[in-house]
Amino acid sequence: MFVNRRRFLAGSAAAVVASTSVVPRIWGAANRRATRSAGDRVLVVIQLSGGNDGLNTVIPYGDDAYHRNRFAVRIGQREVLKIDDYLGWHPSLRGFENMQQAGNLCVVQGVGYPNPNRSHFESMDIWHSALLTPPHRTGWIGRCFDGQADQTSANLAPGLHLGDEPLPLAMTGLNIMVPSLKSIESLRVAADETVRTALDEIDETLETKDELIDFLIQARRTALAANRRLEALGGAQDVPRVYPRTELARKLALVSKLIGIDFGPRVYYVSLGSFDTHSQQANAHAALLAELAGAVAAFHGDLESSGRHDQVRTICFSEFGRRVKENGSAGTDHGTAAPLFVAGSNLAKTAGKYPSLTDLVDGDLVFNVDFRSVYATLLEQWLEIDSQPILGAKFDTLGLLS
Amino acid sequence: MKTATRVLAKDLWLPYETDRLTPREAAHLARRAGFGADWSEIQAAVDLAFFDVVDGLLTAGENAELDQQSQAMKAVIQAGNLPVQLPAWWLYRLQQTASQAREKLVIFWHGHFATSAAKVNSAFPMLAQNETIRQFALEPFEQMVIAISRDPAMLLYLDSATNRRNNPNENYARELMELFCLGIGNYTEHDVRELSRAFTGWEIVRGQFTFNQFQHDPTPKNLLGKAGIESGEEAIAWIVTRPAAARFVAQKLYRFYVSDLAPDPRLLEPLANCLRENQFAIRPVLRMIFTSRLFFSDLAYAKKIRSPVELAIGLLRCIGGSTSPTQLSSSLAELGQSLFYPPNVKGWDGGMRWINSTTMIGRINLVTEILTNAQTNFVGGRNRLDRRFDVSSAADAVQRVEMIWCAQPLEDSHRRKLIDIVERTVTRRDGKLLCAFKALATTAEFQLG
Repeated sequence: MFVNRRRFLAGSAAAVVASTSVVPRIWGAANRRATRSAGDRVLVVIQLSGGNDGLNTVIPYGDDAYHRNRFAVRIGQREVLKIDDYLGWHPSLRGFENMQQAGNLCVVQGVGYPNPNRSHFESMDIWHSALLTPPHRTGWIGRCFDGQADQTSANLAPGLHLGDEPLPLAMTGLNIMVPSLKSIESLRVAADETVRTALDEIDETLETKDELIDFLIQARRTALAANRRLEALGGAQDVPRVYPRTELARKLALVSKLIGIDFGPRVYYVSLGSFDTHSQQANAHAALLAELAGAVAAFHGDLESSGRHDQVRTICFSEFGRRVKENGSAGTDHGTAAPLFVAGSNLAKTAGKYPSLTDLVDGDLVFNVDFRSVYATLLEQWLEIDSQPILGAKFDTLGLLS
Repeated sequence: MKTATRVLAKDLWLPYETDRLTPREAAHLARRAGFGADWSEIQAAVDLAFFDVVDGLLTAGENAELDQQSQAMKAVIQAGNLPVQLPAWWLYRLQQTASQAREKLVIFWHGHFATSAAKVNSAFPMLAQNETIRQFALEPFEQMVIAISRDPAMLLYLDSATNRRNNPNENYARELMELFCLGIGNYTEHDVRELSRAFTGWEIVRGQFTFNQFQHDPTPKNLLGKAGIESGEEAIAWIVTRPAAARFVAQKLYRFYVSDLAPDPRLLEPLANCLRENQFAIRPVLRMIFTSRLFFSDLAYAKKIRSPVELAIGLLRCIGGSTSPTQLSSSLAELGQSLFYPPNVKGWDGGMRWINSTTMIGRINLVTEILTNAQTNFVGGRNRLDRRFDVSSAADAVQRVEMIWCAQPLEDSHRRKLIDIVERTVTRRDGKLLCAFKALATTAEFQLG
């Protein structure tokens, strides 16, 4: 995965950091392959947890069926940000509207999978593992890392999860552990002599007998390696003014900063939510979409002004959409297909076909695009990895990365 | 499962044959049934008959003074409606409780019937739910499920309070079958819709559960292969007697008390049978677990990663200390476990999911913080700790921590290195025992309970 060099910027910050002695060997190993460079492509995954109501995100305001099924949560013709005379953006998504018009955002319509599962946890596992049936042991990104794992150097994967939720299954591989940070500060070790001495001097060997202890030893190594690498970064990071003051924006500002110094990871993962709007949906959903579009627009704007826009693609997905007909609590229940977003430069405006609101199965939309086709597209055309071993089958790619 | 284990699957649940526990066994039991025991409590336990130790844990009542303090603190939180103080309230209780096993089980059920103050956003119903769980923790499961289905915090959390006849809300019905009673794959989408109809009209009026017959859909429901179910109560009675229910609860108890590693399903069948034979009462099944050969075998030792609460409360209980619950509450939130604020309706995933780079460093920092913080008090004072634990050398200190804390013995070379570090870095203020705790806290196996 990481042997594909796009562009090499000699004398970049990465080279400086990589050459300092505080960087553990495992990072050095990745760098020494002369493959990781400033020009390397980065994928950012934004997970919309809880099931985003796709119908109220990209709204078919021109469809009578939409108005027949929704009263309390309906967003009418006068409120939507019109895309055409059938579809419009939720009014919170001004940032997405602008990006789409500039060719910096692609909507993939009607994304789902066969025999949709309406459990949050099962459906999330399906999206993360890219496997329709259990066991869901590894994730689609984790398997990319496994394919590239350098067994001798073990450990620091070219991925980073930012957030305080557990490491996403998507980023879990068999051979490699991805660091998961809440913030840069969260990795500082207390200034205690006993603790520092023990951390420096104790390095346990992997027993490969006991799953739990081996896991913990590897987690400890990953954490210490990330800690040492981040110490080179210095103090607390301020969020630039171009970002809104939201949690997602704070995370993406940090991602931008890390990309800017060529910190290393090729895949960054963050989450936003909960989108599980069973009740009193309108305000909660509007606030979440505003946080999403505000943060993504600021992030890509920031990348553009630092000349790194061509280097990054962002995908926003949710485990399912919501039912066409609203429930009695001014909310919506778990559904199926929904739109997905890819942000970056030079993108098609749209891909896939909006699902029919009348041709339903069990009251739910029927998907037109398999999410694994989106993964295949990103793997093949962006990260330039053969998608078949990762996804277990060959899926058609979409013409979204023009 | 390997052949040898398969042959033994049934036998593994037979009673562990011993009259008296060794100190290592007593420490293991104290950690799993509750949070932990200090040196003197372990010494006391090894002098008692094994079964009496287990029964003592499972029947211990709460001390009256703590109950009074707890009520007073609740009154303050409710008066100010300060849900953010709920975790500290419980953490105080966990540090002081005389009934560790019950409190641990309340945490189990809290994670099982996960309800978050982040959505409920009011202290009173959260505290009421906590009391309901404490009351039914050891009772038959059906009573618990009915109580929870009428619980205002739960009804608010899963939008059941607005489940109306003409437009049912499926949220509670789905989670009841998926996460509370049966597990995925043991019901259909049709069952979700039928069950949501059975719960229509279960509302909250002025903070109390109310059955609104005008919003209830009285037409018969066809649920899990049985026709003619009318009420929510009938539906629950039918659900909890499905064969999958006992298996589902047995598996969750096994994961919580025995091992993070998934067992062969056949290993769970005797536990599930124990639930069925005892009308789903929880005390007999816990007794079966804690007195079993399996519990004192390598299938259980060191097979659990401590939760953040188990780490912090365990540490304090093992050294006979107490600390500021408010400060503890924010540290534990950083580590991913804020009581009363589970991450979602599935509760805390637990096991390996507790660990990532941030929490790994955070756990080391938390132990250091608890042990060196001026707000932490030790029975008899900080400077008497070494004497209380019979510690006179660095080697004693490391061995003592190993005995009361570590789930498996250290490797010799590893132990020598730790002793060496303690000798080199010990300070007069902390003493040897605390220094040994700090050094061991940086190791991977410290996280195993």
